[in-house]
Amino acid sequence: MSAAGHQASQPPLRRDRGSAVVGGVCAGLGRRLGIDPIILRVVFIAASAAGGLGIGLYLLAWVAMPAEGERRAGGLRVPALPGGRDSWTVAGGIGLLALSLLLVFRQWGLWIGDGLVWPVVLAAAGGALIWRQSANAADPAPVREAPARAGGGSALGRAALGVALVVGAALLFLYFNDALRPARDALLPVVVVLVAGTLILAPWWIRLVRGLADERAERIRSQERAELAAHLHDSVLQTLALMQRRADNPREVAGLARRQERELRAWLDGGRPLGERGTLAAGLELAAAEVEEQHGVAVDVVTVGDCPLDAGAEALVAATREAVLNAAKFAGPEPVSVYAEVGTERVEVFVRDRGPGFDPDAVPEDRRGVRESIVGRMRRHGGDAVVHTGAGDGTEVELRLERAR
Amino acid sequence: MTPRDFDPASLVAGLLVCGLGVLLLLDQVDAIDLRFGYFFPAILGTVGAIMLAVGLTGRRR
Repeated sequence: MSAAGHQASQPPLRRDRGSAVVGGVCAGLGRRLGIDPIILRVVFIAASAAGGLGIGLYLLAWVAMPAEGERRAGGLRVPALPGGRDSWTVAGGIGLLALSLLLVFRQWGLWIGDGLVWPVVLAAAGGALIWRQSANAADPAPVREAPARAGGGSALGRAALGVALVVGAALLFLYFNDALRPARDALLPVVVVLVAGTLILAPWWIRLVRGLADERAERIRSQERAELAAHLHDSVLQTLALMQRRADNPREVAGLARRQERELRAWLDGGRPLGERGTLAAGLELAAAEVEEQHGVAVDVVTVGDCPLDAGAEALVAATREAVLNAAKFAGPEPVSVYAEVGTERVEVFVRDRGPGFDPDAVPEDRRGVRESIVGRMRRHGGDAVVHTGAGDGTEVELRLERAR
Repeated sequence: MTPRDFDPASLVAGLLVCGLGVLLLLDQVDAIDLRFGYFFPAILGTVGAIMLAVGLTGRRR
């Protein structure tokens, strides 16, 4: 196998959160190296016992390795600071820098004492977490902006971590001041039994949690499949059955097919009905659908870009509708083409048909369709409309509108 | 090989890890005496600085 082929066959170096025990570093490394992650976990634990080196290496790997589905490294998936910064990563970074400074001061002897500094540091970290969560709970706005997953579980987890830190700080303070000595003899066996029980039961517990998560994911997938099947039944299958019954009327069949195509596209495009979207593209689609239903002529709409449906855009949609209506009335059964392009400076719409065309100068004065509903309307809104036509050449109505700034 | 966007966080992380490596090398050749009491804070500081760089140079969303 070539080097490139070998590289391509190896999975990328990513933290595997699906099989994670802590951060997914060992699981990711194991998958990449093709070895059992439990071996790497034992190595990291052994290295941690040897002066804490394993913890440092694990933290480095956690920060440096991106998780599956993330574009870049950064061990914590966190909400964003204003301007797109990761607030929890920044907070964690500042915390670690402060901790390293404290350790250096301790090494230099600029130190009040372990019995006071460490409990204070832990209590400060825990207090900050608790206060932050309570501030978020009091102000619901950021919660609404955050993704759904970031709201409930992780916020509760952070609050629990804060409580644990504060309780740990208090216990540490009591321990350093020998206040726990009387309780130590009674508590030590309980703690040892708890640790042993945790070590024994942890694999089953982890498997149970993962099993529940997999089951939940499967249930969500199953619901999505059922919704998709129901939608297909209510829309596409019904239309296909109708088309079979109307097979002797090609125009009606074409109309049914086009209406279904529009509905399906709208559904694929987010599911919101066209009328509720309030954009130029949706307005053009609606106008085309209306003319299509009234006159049984196919109208193809292609839109490049989109913009909100303000007063100018509404006028543009109305003028386009009038041009499409004229084409449907006079250009016969040939399909009408609508092409719209939304730029940063202006919006342009072209309505084309392959009908017989007409002489604009020969249009009687009392006919106001082109003159008022298209040209006049566009000029009143600061735009312009030009009709390109000639006998036998079809017709193209060109509409331009400068965008409001 | 596809061109990549410049990522300041990766540069900071690389420089810091290089710095850590230089410290270890100097200790190895006995140019400095790197005791655990200083090495552990150095690792923590490196991880903290990388996290800070990653957080501050996060993509604008």
